[in-house]
Amino acid sequence: MYFYDAAAPIVTKESIDFSVAFYGDRYSQEKKKEETMEEWKKRLAGEEPSYINLPMDQEEYETFWKALVEAEVVTLHEFEKKEIFEGCMPIEVMAKRGMDTLRFGPLKPMGFDDPRTGKRPYAVVQLRQDDKQAELYNLVGFQTNLKFGEQKRVFQLIPGLGQGDFVKYGVMHRNTYLNSPELLTETYQLKSNPNLYFAGQLTGVEGYVESISSGMVVALNTIAYYQSQKQRIDYLPITFSAYTMIGSLAKYISTPNHKFQPMNANFGILPEWEGKKIRDKKERYQKLAERSLKHLFFVPEGKK
Amino acid sequence: MKEYITIIGGGLAGTEAAYQIAKAGIPVKLYEMKPKKYTPAHHSSELAEVVCSNSFKSNLLTNACGLLKEELRKLDSLLIRIADETKVPAGQALAVDREEFSQRVTEEIKNNPLIEIVSEEVGKGLPTTLSDLIKESITIVATGPLTSDPLAEEIAELTRAK
Repeated sequence: MYFYDAAAPIVTKESIDFSVAFYGDRYSQEKKKEETMEEWKKRLAGEEPSYINLPMDQEEYETFWKALVEAEVVTLHEFEKKEIFEGCMPIEVMAKRGMDTLRFGPLKPMGFDDPRTGKRPYAVVQLRQDDKQAELYNLVGFQTNLKFGEQKRVFQLIPGLGQGDFVKYGVMHRNTYLNSPELLTETYQLKSNPNLYFAGQLTGVEGYVESISSGMVVALNTIAYYQSQKQRIDYLPITFSAYTMIGSLAKYISTPNHKFQPMNANFGILPEWEGKKIRDKKERYQKLAERSLKHLFFVPEGKK
Repeated sequence: MKEYITIIGGGLAGTEAAYQIAKAGIPVKLYEMKPKKYTPAHHSSELAEVVCSNSFKSNLLTNACGLLKEELRKLDSLLIRIADETKVPAGQALAVDREEFSQRVTEEIKNNPLIEIVSEEVGKGLPTTLSDLIKESITIVATGPLTSDPLAEEIAELTRAK
């Protein structure tokens, strides 16, 4: 069980500019001194992709830093203030300690050179994979209290994130929620006690509509479970297709996750579009939405 | 097993679940600690209090939250229906008159003959504990991000136990 949320923003991979970004773990995949840039790139291509790195030169870094320390933050409730800062520091607070503090912290430019220039970057932002399908990435160390609009404005100044699509903004607030991937099934039922279900933000879904959607899934399942007990028949859990947002959210919160964080509805948690690649985002989302609605009342074989 | 389903928490998830279960003809016992006790962020005595922004986000299908709303409309969600009926102008977003929204949900739940509202806090050391409830009936905990300490403590214990 978690009692507060200190989450970094999450961007979709497809919105990252890969003419700037490159893969690599600054600790385990660093470029060896004797390696040329070509040899290093070749070696990395054969290994599993890990972090995505966004290198900055001095000017880019200073522009970003200045925007970050001047950006507007949200006001916290009194009761939140004392609980939050024990564990981790918001990026803007760290930045305010000095112009170079971030370069010795989460933006440390170690491990590799900028593949475009062959030079050591001035600072490097790391993005860490956030979902199994590798469609979502979080900004490492960027837990923040900046207002959402400010996060978009300031974080889009990071090279490679100019068009960054933030599916979730960073937050630091009091938030009680369960380690659902370990505890709950896809129907929000407690694995260790089938009589107990959870719904709403306690399960790690985030947002009003998301809470309502979990209430809907739980209601349908408790009805089915109640009837099965009463009529002494098998309980067949009711789940929605992974193509639907309501189904995908339930799946997301109950799927193993290295560092579970509350999640909003977003297209990154739906399976990719199977047809021809659609470049236009709006058009693609329209297709994904139509596919979802088509599958809303789809009952898988054997569950009829 | 008692012949009803228990829900703890009369917020957005809890009231939606209560309505759906009652619609299936099953009685519901809905525990809500307000108005006896409030969280630091809740102030109204109504159910389904909209605590933060009054926006339910985009209504467009090309927005993930808009799609989720459309799915819920098709599934006959009470709360999305009332949100649609109490909306205020907000462009592509669905924003609600928060007072009217909560009042409408509260009325709908209170007037439902199959739903009994129990104004009582549940949790460790209180007259009613979660462990008692789950022995008697199928129970849904929907107490949100500001779950009170006695209940949070009990949930932590129950979920730790294998």
